[in-house]
Amino acid sequence: MKRIIISLLIISTVFLFGCWDSVEINKREYLFAVGIDKQDDKLKFTSEIPKINEGSEEERLIYSNEGKSFADFYHLNYLHSDKVISDRLMQVIVLGEELARDSDKLKEIFDEIQRSPQMNRRVKICIAKGKAEDIINTEIPSNPIVGRFLSDMLVKLKRESYQDVFTFDEAILHLGQTGNAMIPVVEVNQKSLKIERAAIVKEYELIGFLETDELEAVMLLLDPANANIRNINIEIDDTTISLGAVDVSMTDNIKLQGEKIQADYYVTLYCYIDSFTIGNNSLEDRNFLNRVKEESIKKISETSTNTVDKLKSTYNADLLQIKDKLYKYHKSDYEKIMDKYDEVFAQADINVYYNMEIKSVGLIK
Amino acid sequence: MFNQDITPYQNLSILVLVSFVLQSMLMPIILTGVNGPEGWISILIAAFLLYIAIKAINKAMKKHDEDTIISVSDKLFPKFISKFIGVYYILMFLTVNSLILKDFAEQIKLMMMFRTPISTIIITVLLTASYATKKGIHSIANITNIALLTSLIPYLLIIVFSTYYADYTNIFPVYPADVEGILKSVPNAMLSFLGFSVLLFSNSRVVTKEKNMKINKKYLVISSVLYIGSYILIIVKFGTKEAANLVWPFVSIMKFVNIPGFFFESTEIVGLCLQIVVIFTSICILAFFTNLAMQETFKTRENGYFIFIQIPILYLMAAGLPGMYMMFPYIQIPIYIISGMNLLIPLIVAYAGSRKKRSI
Repeated sequence: MKRIIISLLIISTVFLFGCWDSVEINKREYLFAVGIDKQDDKLKFTSEIPKINEGSEEERLIYSNEGKSFADFYHLNYLHSDKVISDRLMQVIVLGEELARDSDKLKEIFDEIQRSPQMNRRVKICIAKGKAEDIINTEIPSNPIVGRFLSDMLVKLKRESYQDVFTFDEAILHLGQTGNAMIPVVEVNQKSLKIERAAIVKEYELIGFLETDELEAVMLLLDPANANIRNINIEIDDTTISLGAVDVSMTDNIKLQGEKIQADYYVTLYCYIDSFTIGNNSLEDRNFLNRVKEESIKKISETSTNTVDKLKSTYNADLLQIKDKLYKYHKSDYEKIMDKYDEVFAQADINVYYNMEIKSVGLIK
Repeated sequence: MFNQDITPYQNLSILVLVSFVLQSMLMPIILTGVNGPEGWISILIAAFLLYIAIKAINKAMKKHDEDTIISVSDKLFPKFISKFIGVYYILMFLTVNSLILKDFAEQIKLMMMFRTPISTIIITVLLTASYATKKGIHSIANITNIALLTSLIPYLLIIVFSTYYADYTNIFPVYPADVEGILKSVPNAMLSFLGFSVLLFSNSRVVTKEKNMKINKKYLVISSVLYIGSYILIIVKFGTKEAANLVWPFVSIMKFVNIPGFFFESTEIVGLCLQIVVIFTSICILAFFTNLAMQETFKTRENGYFIFIQIPILYLMAAGLPGMYMMFPYIQIPIYIISGMNLLIPLIVAYAGSRKKRSI
C-alpha cells in the first residue's frame, strides 16, 4: 500500500509542476510607458512597448486604444496582439493635462492603480503639458524609449531634489495625507522632452503650474538639506555677480494663534562666488560683500514671497505641508480649524527670512 | 505518538511565530481602531496585562507543570466546566486557523496564482500542513526554528527595506492621544498575542519546565517589540490615513521594496514566498494544538486522527468564511468576547489552582 501511495505521489509531481498557465518571455510584450488622455467620456491609452524580444532595444511599438479603465486597456490589448501584455516593467505613466483637470477621472485612475495587486505602485508618474499621446510619440534620437528616458530623468530630478514627487506611491500618499501634491510636468522640447515645472494637484485635480524658480522656492522650504538652488545672479555697480548656494540650513516656527496660521521659515544659505569679473578686487571689501548679500537676499526673498502668495491666494494649495505639521505638532489647535483649513490657510501669515554667508570667493581673490 | 518534548527556545519560537502571523493579519484593526498613530500604546497596555496574567498562571501551574490548561481545569472544576473550556479552545483554535488559512490563500491567489481556484490552494496547504503536523511537536518545533531564521528574519528585513522614502514624522502626534480608541483597541491587541493561548498548552511539553516563566516573559517582550516595530513601520511608510485604507498592510508595504543591487524583478513575490513559510508553519502549530485540545477534551488514547478530522472542518470554515477584510466591520464584538475569554479562562484556572493549593 505504502509503495502504491509513494508511486502515485511521484507520478503526480509530473502533473503538479505549477507552470500550466505560464507564458514564455518571448510571448510577452512589456509596457514601458503609458500615456492617458481624456477622450470625451472615455480614456485614450497610448502605450510604448520596446522590441526587447526581437533584440532591438532601441526600437519600439506604439499602440493606442480607447477604454473606460486600465482593465479595458489590457483587455483590448490582449485582443489586438498575438502576445500577452505585461506591466511588470512599466516605468512611467503620463497623464494628459485635460485628464488631470478632471478630478473624477483622476480619482478613478488612481483608485485602479492602488487597488490592483499586479500594478506596481513604484511606477513613476508625470503630467503632460498638453496631450500625453504627444509625449509618448516623441522621437528622441539619443534615447528612443520614452519610458526609459522619463524614468531616468525623474529618478535624477528626485535624487537631486528638483522635484518632490516621482512615483505614483508618493503622489497617492501626498494627496491622501495633505490633499495636495506637486507632480512633475513633462513637455515636448524640440526633439526631446523636458521636465522643468511641477503641476499643482489639489484634491485629485490639476489646478495650476509652478514655474522652475517657484518650484525651487517650494523645494527649498520642503527639503532644505537637499535643495538645489539655481545660481543667484545680481547686478552691483554695473557688474554681474553670480553666487551658488552649496549648503542650506533651515528652522521653522509654525503655530496657530487663534484662527491665524503663523509660519516663519529661517533659511541660511552658505554660498560661493561663482563668477565676478577679472581685475575687480571689490570682493576683498567687507562692505561690498555685505551689499552682495543684501542684494542676493532681496532677490530670492522676492521669489519666495511671490510663490507663497501664489500658493495662498491664487491656488489655495498648501504645498508647504503646513497642515501636516500643525496636525503632528499642534493637534489640539489644529482640530479647532480643520474643517475650515482652506480659509485659514488663505489668510495665513507666512514669512521666509533669509540669511546668507559667503563661505568662499573661489580660487582667486 | 506525541510524547515528544521541546526545548524552551523551541517553545519561544513557536509562541513568537504564531503571534506574529495573527498580529500581521489583525494589523488593519489596530490601524483603524485608533484615530492617530498611537496604536502602539494599545499594544503596550495589552502586553502589560498579559504579563500580569502570565505571571499568575505560571505561579499557579507550578504544581501542574505536566498539564495543559484543559487537564488542569479537569482536576479543578466540575466536568462540564472543563469540557466547556476544552470545547472553547478547540473552537477558538479552529476559527483562528481557518481565518489565517483563508487570508493566506487569498493573498496567494491575488498576488501569485490568479487563475488557480482558492479552494485548490486551501486544500493543498491543508494536506501538506496535516502531514507535517502528524509528525508531532518535535518536528513542528524544528520547522519553526528554521522558519524563524530563514524566513521571518529575512521577511522582516524586506519590510524594513520597503520603508524607503518613509516619513518618520508620521509617528506624531502622540499627544493629545485618542484615549477611547486606544482603550477600545486593547482587546484587539490582546487577541493578536495568540502565543498567550498557545503557551497554556505548549508549556507542558517543554523539557525544562522551570524555565517556562522566563521564556514566557521573553516571548512577550520579543512579540511586543515585533508588533510595535511592524506597526510603526507601516505608520511611517503610509501615514495614519493611508494605512487605515489598506487590506493587507504587510503585503502593500512589500510592494515598495527598493533594495540597492537586488536582482529580483518583483521583490514583493520574494517577500510573499518567505511569508508562505511563516504562515504555513503557524498553521501546523495551530493544527497541532487543536489536536491536543481535542485529545484532552475527549480523553482519547490514540490521537493522531484528530489532525485528519480537522482537515474537512478547516476546509469548510476557510472556504465558507468571507475574507478577513470583509469581516472587519462585524468582527469587533466577537474579538471582545474571544479576547476576554482568552484572558479570563486562564486567570480563573490560576485563581482556582492557587486556592486549592492553599486549602491543601
